[in-house]
Amino acid sequence: MSTFRRAQSQAHPNKTSTLMLAIIVLLILNVTIQIWLLYSGLNNALAHNSGIAFPAFIASLVIFIINCWLLYYLPRSRQ
Amino acid sequence: MSDNNEKYPDWKNDFPISQSETTSVTRRQFAKFLCLVSGGLATGSAFVAAKSVLSPDKKIKGAHRVCSITELPVGGTRSFVLEGSTTPYILIHLENGEFKAYEQKCTHLSCAVFYKPGSGKIECPCHNGWFDAMTGEVLQGPPPRPLPRLDVQVKGNDIFVAAAKEEA
Ligand code: FES
Repeated sequence: MSTFRRAQSQAHPNKTSTLMLAIIVLLILNVTIQIWLLYSGLNNALAHNSGIAFPAFIASLVIFIINCWLLYYLPRSRQ
Repeated sequence: MSDNNEKYPDWKNDFPISQSETTSVTRRQFAKFLCLVSGGLATGSAFVAAKSVLSPDKKIKGAHRVCSITELPVGGTRSFVLEGSTTPYILIHLENGEFKAYEQKCTHLSCAVFYKPGSGKIECPCHNGWFDAMTGEVLQGPPPRPLPRLDVQVKGNDIFVAAAKEEA
């Protein structure tokens, strides 16, 4: 099986470290967006604008799936 | 093992993990943890969406008697609950003679709000939030939404409240 994985595992630790950091930054960014979505969905639901809550949930779910997909690209730990 | 003991301090034998391994493991775990948090937030949003779709809050039906006019002097307030619900409400006799009824729950973190006699304002003591007693609008402080309002009708000597009509 020839995927990115072999090249990734052979890369210099500095490279994988940068990649790891980049993924973590992306994850933090996504979680921040999700917090904002939850906050605005909840506030609008309480203010009787229930139209916001459902799109906010869909967006949040999509971001969660993206986050899981990002985890796949995490460099393997070195032996 | 015995010559290991000579070379390494005790704590290294107790925690036999190499430096590079520790950093990479914790960052991986941190990334996974972030993903877990992300799933939690998505679940939270799902609950909010389900709640707002499945159980829109019930409307108050009909008019309910609160008290008679003589029981409520000008500037006075009276808290009440409606039958079959636990939401506290507050009835205010404003200085201009009008009666107003609001939910007695701050829209910020649900503290009880109080009318400040003579000022025309409703105060939330928890985080210094203020509402306009005429409309329920937020005047200052952290509350994000106006206070939910009830319609007040004076019939003869009695004060009734009913669900507020939807404003456009
Ligand atoms: S709970 Fe009323 S201002 Fe925070």
